[in-house]
Amino acid sequence: MLTARNSLGIIFFPAFDWAISPTHPEREERLLYTQDQFREEGIFDIEGIREYRPLVATQKDILRPHFCFPNVQAVCTDSHLISAGGVIRAAQLVMEKERQRAFAVVRPPGHHAMRTVHGSRGFCNINIEAVMIEWIREHYGNLRVAVVDTDCHHGDGTQDIYWHDPDVLFISLHQDGRTLYPGTGFPSECGGPKAMGRTINVPMPPRTSDEGYLMTVERIVMPILEHFKPDLIINSAGQDNHFSDPITNMNFTAQGYARLTEMLKPDIAVLEGGYAIKGALPYVNLGISLALAGVDFSAVQEPELDREKIREQKSTMDYLSALCDQLPEVYFNPRPSDAVREGGYFVRRRSIYYDTDDITENQVERLKDCPHCPGLLIVESETADTPRCLGLHVPVQGCDMCSQEAEERFAKARQAGFAYAQLSDRVTKRYEYAK
Amino acid sequence: MLIGIDVGGTHTDGVCIREGRVEAMAKVPTDHDNLLATISEVLRLILRDCKGAEIRTLNLSTTLSTNSIVTGHTEKVGMFVIPGPGINPQAYALGAQYHVLSGCVDHRGAVSAKVRPEHMKPMTARCREEGIRVYGVVGKFCTRNPEQEMAIAEALAPQADFVTQGHRVSESLNFGRRVSTVYYNAAVWRTFNTFADALEQSLKDLNIQADINIVKADGGTMPLKLAREIPVQSIFSGPAASVMGILSTAPQTEDALILDIGGTTTDMAVLLDGIPLLERDGISIGEHPTLVRALKVESIGIGGDSFISSRGGQLNVGPDRHGPCMAAGGPAPALMDAMNVLGHAAFGDRERSAKGIKEVAMAQGLSARECAEQAVHMAMSVLKRKVDAFLNAVNSRPVYTIQEILEDRTVKPKRILVIGGPAEAMVPLLEETFGLPVIAPRHAEVANAIGACLTRPTQSLVLTVDTSRGSFTVPGLGIHKPIKRTYTLDEAVHDATTMLRAELDRQGIPAEEGDIQVIQADAFNMVEGHYTIGRNIRVRCQMRPGVITTLEP
Repeated sequence: MLTARNSLGIIFFPAFDWAISPTHPEREERLLYTQDQFREEGIFDIEGIREYRPLVATQKDILRPHFCFPNVQAVCTDSHLISAGGVIRAAQLVMEKERQRAFAVVRPPGHHAMRTVHGSRGFCNINIEAVMIEWIREHYGNLRVAVVDTDCHHGDGTQDIYWHDPDVLFISLHQDGRTLYPGTGFPSECGGPKAMGRTINVPMPPRTSDEGYLMTVERIVMPILEHFKPDLIINSAGQDNHFSDPITNMNFTAQGYARLTEMLKPDIAVLEGGYAIKGALPYVNLGISLALAGVDFSAVQEPELDREKIREQKSTMDYLSALCDQLPEVYFNPRPSDAVREGGYFVRRRSIYYDTDDITENQVERLKDCPHCPGLLIVESETADTPRCLGLHVPVQGCDMCSQEAEERFAKARQAGFAYAQLSDRVTKRYEYAK
Repeated sequence: MLIGIDVGGTHTDGVCIREGRVEAMAKVPTDHDNLLATISEVLRLILRDCKGAEIRTLNLSTTLSTNSIVTGHTEKVGMFVIPGPGINPQAYALGAQYHVLSGCVDHRGAVSAKVRPEHMKPMTARCREEGIRVYGVVGKFCTRNPEQEMAIAEALAPQADFVTQGHRVSESLNFGRRVSTVYYNAAVWRTFNTFADALEQSLKDLNIQADINIVKADGGTMPLKLAREIPVQSIFSGPAASVMGILSTAPQTEDALILDIGGTTTDMAVLLDGIPLLERDGISIGEHPTLVRALKVESIGIGGDSFISSRGGQLNVGPDRHGPCMAAGGPAPALMDAMNVLGHAAFGDRERSAKGIKEVAMAQGLSARECAEQAVHMAMSVLKRKVDAFLNAVNSRPVYTIQEILEDRTVKPKRILVIGGPAEAMVPLLEETFGLPVIAPRHAEVANAIGACLTRPTQSLVLTVDTSRGSFTVPGLGIHKPIKRTYTLDEAVHDATTMLRAELDRQGIPAEEGDIQVIQADAFNMVEGHYTIGRNIRVRCQMRPGVITTLEP
């Protein structure tokens, strides 16, 4: 009988009754073959690996990291609440020490969902990792968390939510944004003025395979993690770097994912994207699960794998090697911030496109330059359907002054002409909309 | 007239039932070295009491296979596995010879690497040298495409008396479990068939021309002819027989808890809307989980003979048993003695009970009554705690659809059905402990034999269709054939139920309208690029577990 070296809880929730649309990649069939593979391999018979049912996230759980406009119900269906609830369950297992590690194999995914949510971007409505991290910080205090996003797409949603947070290190490894959605994730994006060097982007050239990918993790991610000393490591385990993925151009394998997991040793892994549902997901999910549990994964392999065909060219390796030399600087020696400051606030003006729902959002973000805490965040946002929205976020490390200012602005929001206003004060634990 | 015999670890019970009434019952000690003699003795006793009636069926729940596995009296098996990539197949190694073959079938049933029977030569030669005559062949995902298994089985045929193939023992996925299921099936095959031959001969000698069925752990039966092919399905049928016995004496339609209180342990099972809950994958044999379907039954270390002691100043009840309770002439005080002292029971020699409890009580500085009260209270709290944990585990089982999560259908027993020696005496205690009505059905002492007698055959069938590949697979029937691309879920449900009905017919199992139940009917759109390329259809149907008739109240 096989025994896991690390006890592992798997929250497997395929949502067999939910799809974005019948032929959309995010459809009922997506985790069907992973379930078949899990069952046939009997991974829940391995001593130390157990399957758990997801919780259902509450409105409060959603409102901790998000501004949802016009309200939570409008942007968030039962499927999102369960997917987020699955990730919360994973955190609960680890935090209560019932399991040493946990893997949330849930859908729909979440890493493209930013702090402000008007609809679906890149198949994501709710950032399930952020919902989890804020759930953890609400119940267990402000832990230092590292999120390593290994989805093939830049985790722009998670980056946005933790842009100003010095206690959450966000590292995204992804296919170069010049060649893939969402077109962001360059090394120059390295965190807000109060959290410089806490966002690290590692854009990799198309056709990077196991050797290059693992070298990048070893030379960039591991030294940074070692220095940051997080209390928790979260892996946004997207699986679309796989050589058979239909919407990306990378050459990563199930073995590569398993070895990556072995190196990273995440406390909690969360499934993100990955749409080669027959050729990749069954093997990658198996490889990640075995690696998390510390069970021999050496025989996990895609049936059609041809290693020679997917090996990197020398030029790719040279490029990656240069990247490995330079990128740690972003963390260890961040350059001075070029954030724009106006009247005591750092200001960003942005236009954000929601590709899945075809929505354009215009946004002005103000971060209070507070001497005591990372600062009150004020977001004014509008879309064609939902004009004049105000979001007020007091961070978990927030001070009384910021909390007080948030409350004053919230009380006057409707009077000031906002159609919708949401307060999420992590200090007073008030999460509500203006009446 | 129907006959049911349950061969248990200690006793063998038999009943014969006519028109909903128990006409005769018998109980004899089990002789594990000569089960046939034990069975013949039970038959003799019950037939003595109801002469002349025509025996329609004889249902037998037997420990034969379980016992030969537990005592290690099994035959050497040559195992050939086709694992493909995945978990290291050596993790499941079983048998005198365990050979790993090349070849691979993926989760869709597509052959992604060819199996090479010619590579087997040295392996088969070694098996011959060791004198191995029974074999097991198991492929990963063989239930999606059994061709590779069939080819290996064919290659082994010349040197085999019997070959067990993975896709014939279960339709469910789980390669490791399938390996152990196939192994044990092959390992007990000869023992079971020798017994079956002798049983048939002895019934013939007695001039009994009944259909013989063997009770399975899932609360159903299978015809002896089928049991000869898959004898592993006859293991651990005892608890299932008891549960089915309760269902025929006290049929239920709501959630309920069943407790079978024995000497050393109490077995618990649950009914969901009156139907017993099954293990998710199958029962385990020692350290080896299998795909043998079984009722979900768990044991608690509390029974009538649970030893009461004073250890280091602490009063303790169970889980040890030091022989029978003192009231029954045993050497040490037990739970039943405490119940005698409290007047809950009036069992055997009550003075011996009082004496035994008094000794423990003195060590604790308590009166006999106080000591008995504490002991009973402890036993009841253990039961309650274990039952709660069991229900909790049942209720947190994973589900895979949003609807199921939101519905959150939890098992909530409305009553407790209790059988076993101390059952009646425990009714008021259980009522107080659980706050639920408790019923001790009639004939509880032979509920197992009644269950064996009245339980119906069960059989299930799984159909998997992949219209993009045009494949149609029913592993249980060894069917793997092409199918048109326009095949629909409705057609699949129709075909699966029709095939199951035909198979039941073939085996001479009567199935009425409504007995066949569709338990899964799913169709997933398969998309490649942005186009639907087909449907992945899964239909699972079964002959529902149940009883032929319920006893007259």
